Amino acid sequence: MFSRRKALLAAVGKGALDMLPLSLAVLPWGILFGSLAIQRGFSGLEAQLFSAIIFGGAVQIVTVELMAENAPLLTVLFSALVISSRHFLYGLSLREQLRTRPLRWRLGLGFLLTDELFSLSGDRRAYRNKYRLYYAVGAGGSFYLAWNAWTALGIIAGAWLPDMTDLGLDFTIAATFIALVIPDIKSLPILVCVLVSTILSVIFSIYEMELGLVAAALMGMTAGFSVQKLRQV
Amino acid sequence: MTLVTIGLLALITFTTRYLFLEGKLPLRLGPNVKQLLSFSAPAVLTAIFAPILFVHDQQLDLSYTNEYIWGGLAAIMAAYKTHSVYWTIGVGTGAFLLGGNFL
Repeated sequence: MFSRRKALLAAVGKGALDMLPLSLAVLPWGILFGSLAIQRGFSGLEAQLFSAIIFGGAVQIVTVELMAENAPLLTVLFSALVISSRHFLYGLSLREQLRTRPLRWRLGLGFLLTDELFSLSGDRRAYRNKYRLYYAVGAGGSFYLAWNAWTALGIIAGAWLPDMTDLGLDFTIAATFIALVIPDIKSLPILVCVLVSTILSVIFSIYEMELGLVAAALMGMTAGFSVQKLRQV
Repeated sequence: MTLVTIGLLALITFTTRYLFLEGKLPLRLGPNVKQLLSFSAPAVLTAIFAPILFVHDQQLDLSYTNEYIWGGLAAIMAAYKTHSVYWTIGVGTGAFLLGGNFL
């Protein structure tokens, strides 16, 4: 009994350790969000609440800007839905592993299901047993704590910091995702998927297409899937 | 009002994450759909980072003065060689800052 508990705790620690580089990578982004919210006239509590209960990256920054401009409520909510819609794909991908789990696991891991946690969920055995579930809680939970700590730093420093939205901090996000994607390119279908997704996401972004990110991703997935099917014939 | 809006936003992001984890949802995924979904991580993450590198002010920026591209290339090489998130971010950001200062 004691050793089982120890093993579960070790799984939580392993998850947190694997997540650590990503938790650190969002430090500038979290500080940016916290200070931005203060500079746009939100109270410290409101700013922290964004990170505590919305727990998103781009969605928080975009909606803070929209709310500060007094955009209509529906515009704010619709933008959030568009930016968050990629998560539908994550839920679908993990459905088979998680749908039979007890409600508290699904609610907890669902809440923690960020890009970062999903990127650590690629292993075939992910979420398949208790240790894997604890691993995910360690990874997702530590990322949650880090994101909220960095937000708090931004809130505290907010008044003294310059407007950071033009400092090129978005590059760290790009570098993080490059670090997650490149080592995963182990076959021709995945390479095709990444190339198609690259080209289409850039085109859709230039034309400011709503849902461009999800459309590009879906077409990249379809391209990779098609190549895989053709090679099986 | 602000608190209500934040609450509604939380509800939206949570719903997008949780919806398909709900077992009662009448939905069965066939083998083809599962195979398709196996590409979702590289596809989505790429669609997030590619526009950051290439698109600025709604314009395609392929000029050699675009430090995002130099940083991105350095990050891709570091990721390919080391498979380490730390090295990728370190080398990529280094090249990005160098490019920003000298181009």
